[in-house]
Amino acid sequence: MAELETALRQLGGELDFPQTPDLASAIRRRLERPAPLWRRPVAIVLAVLMVAAIAAVLAVPQSRSAILDWLGLRHVSVVRVEKLPVVPANGGLGLGHRITLDEAKRRAPWLLLPDGDPDSVWVNESIPGGKVSLVWGTPSHVRLLLTELSGRAYIEKIIDGGTEVERVKIGTAGAWFQGPHVVMFQDRDGRFHDTQARLARNTLVWQQGGVTLRLEGGLSKAEALRIARTAS
Amino acid sequence: MERARRGDEDAYEQLVREHQGIAFRTAYVIAGNASDAEEAAQEAFVKAYRALGRFRPGSPFRPWLLRIVANEARNRRRSAGRRAALSLRASAEETSGGAAPSPEGVVLAGEDRERLLEAVNGLREEERLVIACRFFLELSEEETAAALDVRLGTVKSRTSRALEHLRETYG
Repeated sequence: MAELETALRQLGGELDFPQTPDLASAIRRRLERPAPLWRRPVAIVLAVLMVAAIAAVLAVPQSRSAILDWLGLRHVSVVRVEKLPVVPANGGLGLGHRITLDEAKRRAPWLLLPDGDPDSVWVNESIPGGKVSLVWGTPSHVRLLLTELSGRAYIEKIIDGGTEVERVKIGTAGAWFQGPHVVMFQDRDGRFHDTQARLARNTLVWQQGGVTLRLEGGLSKAEALRIARTAS
Repeated sequence: MERARRGDEDAYEQLVREHQGIAFRTAYVIAGNASDAEEAAQEAFVKAYRALGRFRPGSPFRPWLLRIVANEARNRRRSAGRRAALSLRASAEETSGGAAPSPEGVVLAGEDRERLLEAVNGLREEERLVIACRFFLELSEEETAAALDVRLGTVKSRTSRALEHLRETYG
């Protein structure tokens, strides 16, 4: 037991950390400068980014555009309705056809992979840029579904009063959908098909670089975030 | 420390010099790249200076500082949307046959070192961080708790879980 710990300490001593910059001098210069931090553009940008990154549970604004602004997800639109339309709960996953993980990486170099290989990988070419789905479980009994779209594709989500939406700290923007909601993907002609709509479970949607990711399964928010944060 | 608290910039500069190494490396482990780490550590030292008035005299400076540093590093990692991939590379030089054994009598061969590092990098983020803090940066449990913003008990349980996982993969 102690051997592993010793080995780790030893490894620590042999790691190639970047050289520590001369922080002391830089800080001395900053402390001597009278201008307050907030007047500096860089600091302002950082402050804005940090404010944007603060997770906050807020009431979802009523208007569609307000929701979009609020979530900051550019490739996801959220529509609030009185009552969700009737759609199949599990039908129309629209996975497309099965390919190997290596093929998926070749076709979609932007693909982000979380820890742990999926049980199967699927691509649907009818979605602009291709929609890649990573499935854990079987297609008929999906335990976890991670759908990834390149920047050209759009997702539409329809929510009602029973759906809670919360902005979360992940990637450049993220949102957690708790409870049932309808999900649709836009096809190459720019249309959302009712026939492709299906009822989704708890879902985490986020954007990372130019990729929009959607993680669905019987997960809690914390579990979904934990998995999502391993995607790279 | 007392002089720094009274606003003596020379004294604070000295304090920064003493702690900049551990502050930068902690930020690097969390932020995952050198430029974010530098920015985070620098910002943290400036913030710490302005907050020195609230620092409790007599309490240890390092955990207090590392909490601020780690927080800055996390903010940068999150706002930039990057994964905190700790792409640590083992130093280029191989352990030569003639190298003196370490005091513990354990010398990791180059291959074992690679394998162990791979196992650490393959851990879940929270476990990788706790291993990096405790063993790579050699932070105390208290300092690790401050840096990772978790309770002391969590550091203990996470460390033993991470070690268990490492034993499974590293053997």
